[in-house]
Amino acid sequence: MEDMYHADRAMSTQQDTKISAKGVQVYYADNHAIKDVNVEIADKTVTAFIGPSGCGKSTFLRCLNRMNDTIDTCRVEGDILLDGEDIYDPKVDPVQLRAKVGMVFQKPNPFPKSIYDNVAYGPKIHGLARNKAELDEIVEKSLRKAALWNEAKDRLNAPGTGLSGGQQQRLCIARAIATAPEVLLMDEPCSALDPIATAQVEELIDELRQSFSVVIVTHSMQQAARVSQKTAFFHLGNLVEYDDTDKIFTNPEDSRTESYISGRIG
Amino acid sequence: MRRTLQSNEDLDTIMLSLTTPLLIILALAVIGFFLAKSRALQVAGGDIRGLVSLPSQHALNTVLATIVPPLAAIFLISLYVRITDGTGSWFFTLVVIGLAVTGLALSLISIKQESRARTYAERWILGLLIFASTIAIMTTVGIVFSMLFETFNFFGQYDWRDFFLSTNWSPNFRGNSDLGIIPLLWGTLYISFIALAFAVPIGLFAAIYLSEYAGPRMRSIAKPAIEVLAGIPTIVYGLFALITVGPFLRDYFASPMGFGESASSVMTAGLVMGVMLIPFVSSLSDDIINAVPQAMRDGSLGLGATKSETIRQVVVPAALPGIVGAILLAASRAIGETMIVVLGAGAAARLSLNPFEAMTTVTVKIVSQLTGDTDFASPETLVAFALGLTLFVITLGLNVFALYIVRKYREQYE
Repeated sequence: MEDMYHADRAMSTQQDTKISAKGVQVYYADNHAIKDVNVEIADKTVTAFIGPSGCGKSTFLRCLNRMNDTIDTCRVEGDILLDGEDIYDPKVDPVQLRAKVGMVFQKPNPFPKSIYDNVAYGPKIHGLARNKAELDEIVEKSLRKAALWNEAKDRLNAPGTGLSGGQQQRLCIARAIATAPEVLLMDEPCSALDPIATAQVEELIDELRQSFSVVIVTHSMQQAARVSQKTAFFHLGNLVEYDDTDKIFTNPEDSRTESYISGRIG
Repeated sequence: MRRTLQSNEDLDTIMLSLTTPLLIILALAVIGFFLAKSRALQVAGGDIRGLVSLPSQHALNTVLATIVPPLAAIFLISLYVRITDGTGSWFFTLVVIGLAVTGLALSLISIKQESRARTYAERWILGLLIFASTIAIMTTVGIVFSMLFETFNFFGQYDWRDFFLSTNWSPNFRGNSDLGIIPLLWGTLYISFIALAFAVPIGLFAAIYLSEYAGPRMRSIAKPAIEVLAGIPTIVYGLFALITVGPFLRDYFASPMGFGESASSVMTAGLVMGVMLIPFVSSLSDDIINAVPQAMRDGSLGLGATKSETIRQVVVPAALPGIVGAILLAASRAIGETMIVVLGAGAAARLSLNPFEAMTTVTVKIVSQLTGDTDFASPETLVAFALGLTLFVITLGLNVFALYIVRKYREQYE
């Protein structure tokens, strides 16, 4: 399993397209929330979605692992391809898709279980470990990757809710990477954290880029500039501009992007 | 016992003699309302902008000042009569009316331009709230004490070891009865167990369906429909047990399988009681499951868990303390239930494992020991109080345990 996973990785290069969205439209009942978005998300890259509140960046993020399916009134049109396969194809099981496209939420939401069980939750559901020893190994690896192992190794059986806010968010990241996803979606992962915890999580995101394609929604433009290689600017449901982060922040093409990053709108 | 009866009569006479004073107090309050309003206006010289408190606030203050002290007095006097065996007299009536008049007069006199009636009214309202909660608490204390006295009387005449340890219940009104609680407790626990074994899974699954799967329209129909069950009087459930469920179980299960020929059985009462308990479990659990943050569900779904995996492994564990609380409250109800048992399980005290045999419970025996010509000095009658107290202790224990569980695990899903 692990080997196959690494073999997959070895074949893909830096510039491979992981997710490709074409003509995506999202409606909440009668409200047209996302208007004709086309975007190509590269593998092993951090892609940031920025834009003012209500611009649709979180909605679009939630389309990428079909979390919008849980909202009754939500309707998605257009094509979203993951490794060339349409994720909205009726043949695709959203449950399995979500195992491949993990998600970390705005507010840390550890389950009311022990730290160990929080991380082991996904692997147990998907049967990623044949025995307890393998499960232990996955838990340890995930916690190490999430930079939480040293703090948590002596209290694996303590409740996850007892950790501090920053630790909880790293626990949620560990939980997400324990299912061995290919893409990690992060919906404002630092907005409930203090600056120190934010710095730790940002550092972590940069390391995660080695193994995953990371898509992060953020309100903080500094954060987008710090952690991402590609940035997409959303405004009123439109994808206004999508380019290398450096270019977006130094030499944007669209006047709306320039107004937003210089603080004139937003 | 005679003592208590007598003071009960005294209490009745007092209550009768209090009708007039209560009416007078009410009239005074109404008069006070209008007097205070007009006096406040008059003090202000017709312009309410000059007043610190509005006329209606003065009026509220006056009404409360007229009503609250005499009500408290009536309550204290009733207690006094109950405890000291004194008789109610015209003196008390005078005190009560005097308090009302004084309150009215003082509050009317105190209406001035700068008087802060809003703050005063606040104090009276606080008093009223404390008064109301005192009544609730004192009633509980009163119930416990009245049971305690009679239970002591009972144990003066009957050995407590026989009561708690004897496995035989055969009261005999000419004396020499066997009054062992064990067969009754067994019946109570057996029937409650069956009721809960039926109600808990069904109630819980219904709650999960309603809160997690049902759409808003389905929910708006199904939830009230289930809650209708809670509004059915228990005697109606009893009739249902007697004429439908009992014969059905006898004809289709008990007699073909050779378990007996009795229509009234533990199973009948237990199942019908279970139906009665469904809304208790489902309604409370539904509220609790709804209170589990959506973020928990998103977290689990985002990891690729299915809906039922999410419910089983995240939502229900998070809601568990509340669900346990709901179950224990339902258990208290089951233990205290009488009517369904009388009509469904019969009145024969028996110690048996066969669920298709007639048995009975503590509550039913309390009723039967106290109905008919009773002499409140014999152990056969007094045993009812000992039974009642035992039951009270058990349900109190369950409630305390439920609260403990709920408190202990509450912090875990913040």
